[in-house]
Amino acid sequence: MNNLPDLPTKFDVIVIGAGPSGSAAAYLLAKKGFKVLLIERGRGLGDKNLYGGRVYAPPIREVWPELDKEAPIQRWVTKERISMVQGEKVITFEYKAEKKISFVSYLTQLSQWMSKKAEDAGALFVTEVTIDEIVMKDGKAVGVRSGPDFIEADVVIDAEGVNRLLLERLGIVERLKPDNIALGVKEVLKTGASNIESSFNVGPNEGVAWVIMGDVTKGIPGGGFIYTNKDSISMGLVLHLKHSMNFIENGKFDEHVSKLVEEFRFHPYFRPYWKDAIISEYGAHLTIEGATHFMPSKFAYPGLLIVGDAAGLLLSTGYTFRGVDYAVYSGKLAAEAVEYARNNGGFTYENLETYDKNIRRSFMYNELFKHRGAELLMNNPVMMAKYPSILMRVMEKMFEGEYTQETIYNALMQALKEEKVGPFDLISQAFGMVKSL
Amino acid sequence: MSSAQNVEKKEEKPMKLEDILQSDIWNVDEDPHIIVDYNKCKNCPNKPCVYLCPAGCYVLSDNGIVFSYEGCVECGTCRVICPMEAITWNYPKSGKGIFYRFT
Ligand SMILES: Cc1cc2nc3c(=O)[nH]c(=O)nc-3n(C[C@H](O)[C@H](O)[C@H](O)COP(=O)(O)OP(=O)(O)OC[C@H]3O[C@@H](n4cnc5c(N)ncnc54)[C@H](O)[C@@H]3O)c2cc1C
Ligand code: SF4
Ligand code: SF4
Repeated sequence: MNNLPDLPTKFDVIVIGAGPSGSAAAYLLAKKGFKVLLIERGRGLGDKNLYGGRVYAPPIREVWPELDKEAPIQRWVTKERISMVQGEKVITFEYKAEKKISFVSYLTQLSQWMSKKAEDAGALFVTEVTIDEIVMKDGKAVGVRSGPDFIEADVVIDAEGVNRLLLERLGIVERLKPDNIALGVKEVLKTGASNIESSFNVGPNEGVAWVIMGDVTKGIPGGGFIYTNKDSISMGLVLHLKHSMNFIENGKFDEHVSKLVEEFRFHPYFRPYWKDAIISEYGAHLTIEGATHFMPSKFAYPGLLIVGDAAGLLLSTGYTFRGVDYAVYSGKLAAEAVEYARNNGGFTYENLETYDKNIRRSFMYNELFKHRGAELLMNNPVMMAKYPSILMRVMEKMFEGEYTQETIYNALMQALKEEKVGPFDLISQAFGMVKSL
Repeated sequence: MSSAQNVEKKEEKPMKLEDILQSDIWNVDEDPHIIVDYNKCKNCPNKPCVYLCPAGCYVLSDNGIVFSYEGCVECGTCRVICPMEAITWNYPKSGKGIFYRFT
């Protein structure tokens, strides 16, 4: 055995991937007395994971009510900011929230905490093992293979994340296409807790979630993000890959992607927040754009349940990103389906299919379809460029008059004229836009 | 075998990507986990990997594309964007590769 340590060769459930979705499923199943094997390819826990930075707590509390007290939370989000950038001009909205329902965390540490929970509940947890194949027999998943080693299970839960090599190899999903995928590139900048608290004007446990649109991506659909950790700032860009390729083809994207991140880091409006910080990490990860097109045709197959990113369960509205809480919640629904099957005569497809039904009935599925319009809008480079431009011109006319200033009405009419948008277009498109959001 | 780096850099003036990457830690596999068929690269019009591989693993030299796997952060971007299907992509062997801490 060169891959797996000596293990029993048969489990009730094998979970592939110890991200949030896999750990939640493994935890709940182990707690119910199932013999669970949780397998992760990383060396330590969470060390292959990278995301933006903010997690919504309520769905996760359903699995771990002790979340607020025990989890490695950096700061609770109390301020939401949205900025639009054009050159050095910036418009920023800030919302000071009353409730604390989301927090900033390192996904590495949060995944560690979650997988430790699964292990403590009795799941057998092995790291440094990459699964090469989900093994099928007579159309049913019967176990997993890593190198020469095969381990058998009644149910396999695929929690491999967005880069779903295993599902592709099974032929359940198509090869990843740039149309539904974005690349996130991130830097972690260590600045010190007191710097963060004074520059963002937040308390010791409070923090900011900030999304940035416009020139930071050179007009490529996507955006920038900033999240405050305890003593560091997570910042970076998300770039839609299909559009990035188009921009490269048209000669509009002609530098290395890390330079875009660096230009964002040097932007005069943002830089004071982290000037002279230490770069403590740089990394990248793929994410889903257009979840409804990314979903597999079914969430349950004979002997196989698909959870988290692998199932396309990620909501990206342009101003919020909900992947971690969705992942955990889908892990919960998968665990419940496995339990239902055990209590109702066995792990037949009919029984496991309750998972598919419950996903489709869940708030997540509903939300993903509800927000489809926002996706379309955000993935339209013209729209993404036009409206910030109009707003920018209005601001300029309102505030940058050396002797005389425009009325808001005139400023808007002139801006529309300059951007060649008729007022009626604006009204009807704005209406369509608001409806889609 | 192991090439743990992790030299933290101060954010000051524009930096080369290789300097920024020094803040990361890898346990480099002896064998490449990604194989590129350079013959196909010759006919690739835009070479998006050169711009989009966040770790700068694809470099355009006088003799065409040169790929090095050591600094790969395993994001999968090259696999998704390569229009010529020139890339055979896999994860590094068990336990090898990038090791994130604060992401
Ligand atoms: C740039 C970016 C920003 C984001 N921002 C946010 C945010 O702010 N808030 C938020 O909630 N979500 C965010 N997300 C999304 C979030 O990270 C994901 O939705 C979430 O991590 C999905 O969890 P998961 O368990 O399904 O998969 P993952 O977290 O990807 O976990 C999959 C695990 O499986 C392991 N694995 C994969 N294949 C194998 C194999 N063959 N064998 C063994 N192990 C394997 C991997 O190593 C990994 O640990 C962001 C994502 C990105 C890329
Ligand atoms: S995108 Fe693919 S074919 Fe084109 S240069 Fe890069 S590796 Fe070669
Ligand atoms: S997987 Fe990502 S980091 Fe690795 S070579 Fe491909 S694009 Fe570069």
